[in-house]
Amino acid sequence: MHQHMKAAEFEHDNRLLMQVESLAYRYPDGTQALAGINLQVRAGDRIALVGHNGSGKTTLVKQLCGLLLPDAGSVTYKGAQFVGAHLASARLEIGLLFQDPDDQLFGNSLYEDVAFGPRNQGQSEVDVDLAVRQALKAVGLEALMFKPPHALSYGQKKRAALAGLLAMRPSLLILDEPTANLDSVQEQIFLDLLKNYAGTLILISHDLIFLYELCERALVLDSGRVHHDYPLKELVAHRPSLREHGLDFSFRFAESRQKAETVAVERRKFAHKIELDVSAGSRSSALVDVRSLSYRYPDGTQALKEIDLAIKPSERLALVGANGAGKSTLLMCLLGIFPFSGEYRFAGKKILPGKGRAVWRQTGMVFQDCADQLVCPSCYDEVAFAPRQFGVAEEQVRERVELALKMVKLDGFEERVPLHLSGGERKRLALASVLSLQPQLLILDEPTAGLDPQGEELLLDILSEIDATLILVSHDIFFVRELTQRTLVMHAGEIALDYSTKSFFADKNLTSLNGLDYTYRDRCALQIRELQHRHEHAHPHRHLHEHSHRHGDLVHRHPHEHQHEHEHSYVHRHADQGAHQHPIQNEYHEHDHPAHEEDDHDHAH
Amino acid sequence: MSGTLPVSVLWLLPLLLLPLAVYSGFRMLIGIARKEQGAEERDWSVPQIEFEGGEISAVHRWDVRFKLASFLLLAFLIVSLQHPQTAGAALLLALVGYRLAAIPWRRGLKRLLGMAGFLSMFLLMLPLTAVQQSSDLVLVFGSIDWLNFNLRGLDLAILIILRAATVALLMEPLLATAPLPVTLAGLARMGVPRRLTELLLITHRYLYVFLHEARRMQIGMEVRGFRKSTSLATLRSVGNYVGMLFVRSFERTERVHAAMLARGYQGHWPQPISFNVRSGDYLKAGLVIGIGLLLVICDQFLGG
Repeated sequence: MHQHMKAAEFEHDNRLLMQVESLAYRYPDGTQALAGINLQVRAGDRIALVGHNGSGKTTLVKQLCGLLLPDAGSVTYKGAQFVGAHLASARLEIGLLFQDPDDQLFGNSLYEDVAFGPRNQGQSEVDVDLAVRQALKAVGLEALMFKPPHALSYGQKKRAALAGLLAMRPSLLILDEPTANLDSVQEQIFLDLLKNYAGTLILISHDLIFLYELCERALVLDSGRVHHDYPLKELVAHRPSLREHGLDFSFRFAESRQKAETVAVERRKFAHKIELDVSAGSRSSALVDVRSLSYRYPDGTQALKEIDLAIKPSERLALVGANGAGKSTLLMCLLGIFPFSGEYRFAGKKILPGKGRAVWRQTGMVFQDCADQLVCPSCYDEVAFAPRQFGVAEEQVRERVELALKMVKLDGFEERVPLHLSGGERKRLALASVLSLQPQLLILDEPTAGLDPQGEELLLDILSEIDATLILVSHDIFFVRELTQRTLVMHAGEIALDYSTKSFFADKNLTSLNGLDYTYRDRCALQIRELQHRHEHAHPHRHLHEHSHRHGDLVHRHPHEHQHEHEHSYVHRHADQGAHQHPIQNEYHEHDHPAHEEDDHDHAH
Repeated sequence: MSGTLPVSVLWLLPLLLLPLAVYSGFRMLIGIARKEQGAEERDWSVPQIEFEGGEISAVHRWDVRFKLASFLLLAFLIVSLQHPQTAGAALLLALVGYRLAAIPWRRGLKRLLGMAGFLSMFLLMLPLTAVQQSSDLVLVFGSIDWLNFNLRGLDLAILIILRAATVALLMEPLLATAPLPVTLAGLARMGVPRRLTELLLITHRYLYVFLHEARRMQIGMEVRGFRKSTSLATLRSVGNYVGMLFVRSFERTERVHAAMLARGYQGHWPQPISFNVRSGDYLKAGLVIGIGLLLVICDQFLGG
């Protein structure tokens, strides 16, 4: 399957936009980031740039827009290298969307920010105004045109950052993890914009399901080298390649996992019990018991309204809803950080607003951005931080650290510097740093954000084995299905729905709930699954066909029938036990049969 | 009037509570202003400056360079006042100017509240620590003869508070009646290095990001049990926290610079802001500076 360094041939015969030859680059600390990169980008290409965390994707795109210069080799854009005036003009034609939208929203209002690029392009103020308004309208933010970027939600910031690029009308658009942490509504906005974008597109993402309909070509990076350059459909159809590069997301097709089925049976029983409990309003043994909890932001905005919630020990619960629905705010209140109003009991003990120390002793919270909770110079110190703060004896601390690091598969990392770990490793370290507290309640806020599929699968396995009450906040519907038995749908600061996860997935009204429309993902996942199950099989079978053939000296053509064996491509489904069934084929069928004309033909005339 | 005035020891209590009363007063006022503001989100489809007051005042229409020069000069003149009476008059005029500029009261109150905690301490510290002069009137609380409350110190504290509050209130018509980029462009036209004004512009934007990041990290430590104490462990944790914050900020700086370059930044912020001087601008500048000079002259008369 490897087509190492092989240049792709695509339908586009458009002009060459970018050529990369023998590109090599080292980071200032001497680490080889890129080596031997050869690549051609043609106008109209739609490329998925994929690979492990740390494989060099971001470094490569910085080379492609002239933010970094090669140590060896060359990068040419429209036939010239990135120097002088050409570099300046190229930057005005290439749009690069950074992972963190705060990095590129440097204006004091959305308008000022989006106008930054067009003004650098030298457009007149009339044209700038038009471009700004059109771009903000395209991303659905025209009503917030003069809002300061710091007052936007994360999803709005992402869209605003994209608007800043669209206003420049770039001929090449490069997006680095455009949909990470976005709900499906915001994701759909990106999807629609990118589908309609007429220029050349390079998308970095671990989310191959999202990329599936957007990109035609896949560029797989591994350790700073291009390992594959071929159609995306070939990549997603070939699981060994995906697995090799940490991109195998097939574990998400849960019904193929026998384990998932057995777990699901257990969970269905538990879910039924929860449904009964919820309906009975049982609160006697709740670990978390919240009544009429409300919270207003300091600016007066009502963030949470009259929340009633009871969570039992060992219960696994998902909080879902659109960006800004109040999920993270609810978590902050449950942690006792925000000064809520209402009644809150944790393990039977009354928690006063803003006084959460009693909660913290028994709760582990893994933040969306794990960098927010990694402050120590070594992994050991990081994991030991919480037990030490709660006065656990040093001998016990050591045991807990060892155990926690082992649980997250980071044993041996004790002396490593957290800042130098990969994204997936940091996420697991953040998990270990709260597991060392042996919490009764584990809270995970978007645990899959920024992880490659391999990291996601590992995290899923780790989380499945942890025995604690779980609150999962996630837009990742697969993790919700795999890890929880109960789902709360939040909308505008309220719990709109509270039911079993099974009922949640069976809910036909999901699409009407803001932020919970997964139609695109479901469609792509189905198509990819079919591709992955399209196997070649050889079967003896009969053919009726017509072609020129020879009987001794006699050459003639007519329809004739005979039986032979050759390979066929089948799309099929896997049953529970791993067996599969082929669809019914016609006994007689036409197909190419190379060199068959030269075979002996023995049939009646 | 000078000398020592014995008073009941009970007077000590209200005097000690004076700073707290001033601070609480401001908090109460800002609470009222916040309630008046309501919870509804403003209309962000119009520029913030235009929305804030609901109307465009004469201060809004004033050329920002004249406004900067006039208000900064006025601030210097107010700081030079030596008598609480003239400083009080200056505060009243600042309030009138504030109202004329059509700025919501909550902004000014918020600014004053930020200073109130610090300034209100002067009401206690200066009377208790001022060096006694022959002309001073000093309150002595019953038999506590080591504790003297010098009324000259109280005058001085009130003077400082009035001057500070006046200057703080003047900052609102100065800064809240034009978008920050326009104000900074005005500063640049007045000779402040462009690099400095651009730095201020971007610092204003990223101050919020920095504060959010710092707060998130703080929460991250708190929920893992961190509590400040006077121990080496606390010092080490705070050191790690500050170090990590610095590393993250440094990395962000690099990324922001890269993002600016990627969108065509070539060393200067593209802001086609034009200024048109009208006769009204001179008139307003003359009026503001004239008021300042008048206050100084009155102050001199009081001194004489």
